[in-house]
Amino acid sequence: MDFFSTYGFLIVSMLFQAMLGLSLYIPLMTGQLSLASPGFYALGGYIAAILSTTVFLPEGGGKWESGTFPIIYVLIETVLAGLASALLALLIGFPSLRLRGIYLALATIAFVEIVRVLSLNLEITGKAIGIFGVPQPFINKFDYVVLALPLLIASAWFVYRLERSRVGRAFTALREDELAAAAMGVNPTTNKVLAFVLGAVLAGMVGAISAHFLNTWNARQGTFDVSILVLAYVIIGGSRTFLGPILGGLLLTALPEVLRAIAGIQGLPLFLSQFLLDGRLIIYGLLIVVAPLFYPQGLITPDLFKRRAVKTKEAGA
Amino acid sequence: MSIFESRGATRRFGGLVAVDSVSFAVEQGEIFGLIGPNGAGKTTMFNLITALTPPTSGQLLFQGQNIVGKQPHQIAAMGIARTFQNIRLFGNLSALENVKVAQHTHTHANVFAGILGTPGAREEARRVEAKARELLRLVGLGESADEKAKNFSYGDQRRLEIARALALEPKLLLLDEPGAGMNPNEKGILSDLIRQIRDQFNLTIILIEHHVPLVMGLCDRIAVLNFGQLIALGKPAEVQSDPAVIDAYLGD
Ligand SMILES: Nc1ncnc2c1ncn2[C@@H]1O[C@H](COP(=O)(O)OP(=O)(O)OP(=O)(O)O)[C@@H](O)[C@H]1O
Ligand SMILES: [Mg+2]
Repeated sequence: MDFFSTYGFLIVSMLFQAMLGLSLYIPLMTGQLSLASPGFYALGGYIAAILSTTVFLPEGGGKWESGTFPIIYVLIETVLAGLASALLALLIGFPSLRLRGIYLALATIAFVEIVRVLSLNLEITGKAIGIFGVPQPFINKFDYVVLALPLLIASAWFVYRLERSRVGRAFTALREDELAAAAMGVNPTTNKVLAFVLGAVLAGMVGAISAHFLNTWNARQGTFDVSILVLAYVIIGGSRTFLGPILGGLLLTALPEVLRAIAGIQGLPLFLSQFLLDGRLIIYGLLIVVAPLFYPQGLITPDLFKRRAVKTKEAGA
Repeated sequence: MSIFESRGATRRFGGLVAVDSVSFAVEQGEIFGLIGPNGAGKTTMFNLITALTPPTSGQLLFQGQNIVGKQPHQIAAMGIARTFQNIRLFGNLSALENVKVAQHTHTHANVFAGILGTPGAREEARRVEAKARELLRLVGLGESADEKAKNFSYGDQRRLEIARALALEPKLLLLDEPGAGMNPNEKGILSDLIRQIRDQFNLTIILIEHHVPLVMGLCDRIAVLNFGQLIALGKPAEVQSDPAVIDAYLGD
């Protein structure tokens, strides 16, 4: 059994989901709970699916052989998906970011729903059927790692640096106390919109690569369930450092496979292994409810590193 | 021209008139006291000046320009900084970061310059850091720059609020009960600090304070509010002997 051909799909999915976790984390840096990421993810996917099936055709027409679609086209689609997401986020950011807390969350869920209904009804998005036969730049699913991993590293580095920069500090100040931040010269609106746009760009780019990865794109991609799933990454992984959503995305995406492996252990009662296989959503739900009781700030907190830093300092002294 | 002038500033909360057509002017370089019993409308006056609460009517002039209708961050950028009576620090940020945030309007590194660490952004970050440390030393918090603001003692949090406000490089500084929760010794140090920053940074200061010796010793002039109305304005000695003021403090 070849590990990479068995788990290639899972590994790349984990990387994508980690990035979606980050895309929710960025607006959260300013204190905005936006669940809009799946909407931009869907948009990015449609842009890639449409371009690669109608514009980027092989010379002389016909279809791309599997594994021959040029990567450069994927990159172009990814950039365009990011740009389109940025524009759309700007457009809806200014009116919706007047809302706070749960109201903003609801408005962004409405946005995700609008994207879904539109794609179900528009000719260009293939209506209910969607767009299939999205051409493949790779033969093996695992090879997508050459796109997904650099993008994850780049976006993690981006957020890491952001948190230590002037703009990131303004974001955090808004989360801590919006009124005080404004009184200290931070413009709440532009900074919140900026964070919203940055999160949208990342989600859109992930969608573009995912369309190729999944081979097909339709209205079932990037729906409300994904909003909740991505929220779970942040709640369980941690919302106060960018490593939280990454860890949450990786873990929760791997969870079904882990459950499947556990269910396969000899000697488990049948009902239990059945539950482990079919009760995935129930287990997610339980985790979302129970994990915060034990890890109120998520698995990873900034203090985790500080304590370690202090310890090493003491050890050195 | 006065650096700041309030012309009939009024703020209603439902039936309550928290600030009732208050007019006064503050001159460049003054330490101007704003006193009055609890609920007199002092903090509301600060909220009007910093646009956290819009006035119901009246004009507020800063350097001759009407600032009513501007947003809080615009007011800050124009050069009006404040501290909060009910301390509003960024609790999970370090003292250093608190002071850095307030330099936002005087710095320019955009999101990409900051992330890529361009030479300009790095140079700016160094300046911001140096200035933040200097301000923390000035208020006596140089040693605890990297500690979280929420872990500070009450008095230290008030000093940190002052350092943060100074980072805005304001022309007008509004201090809302900076000495609350400090012991007499600390209040004495605070008093010296306020005078020192006025001279060093060429500030004009409006000071809300309940502690009478502090106000009397420090302020050039004092305005007294009672039930939202300005009932006295003048030199400390004049105000102290004003029957209306004595009545407001001692009366029913
Ligand atoms: N946002 C608000 N909504 C309703 N009423 C308010 C609001 N802010 C202040 N008030 C009321 O306005 C009046 C003036 O309050 P303010 O805080 O300005 O008083 P103060 O002079 O600062 O008092 P203190 O010395 O206790 O700080 C009070 O009666 C207060 O209850
Ligand atoms: Mg007050």
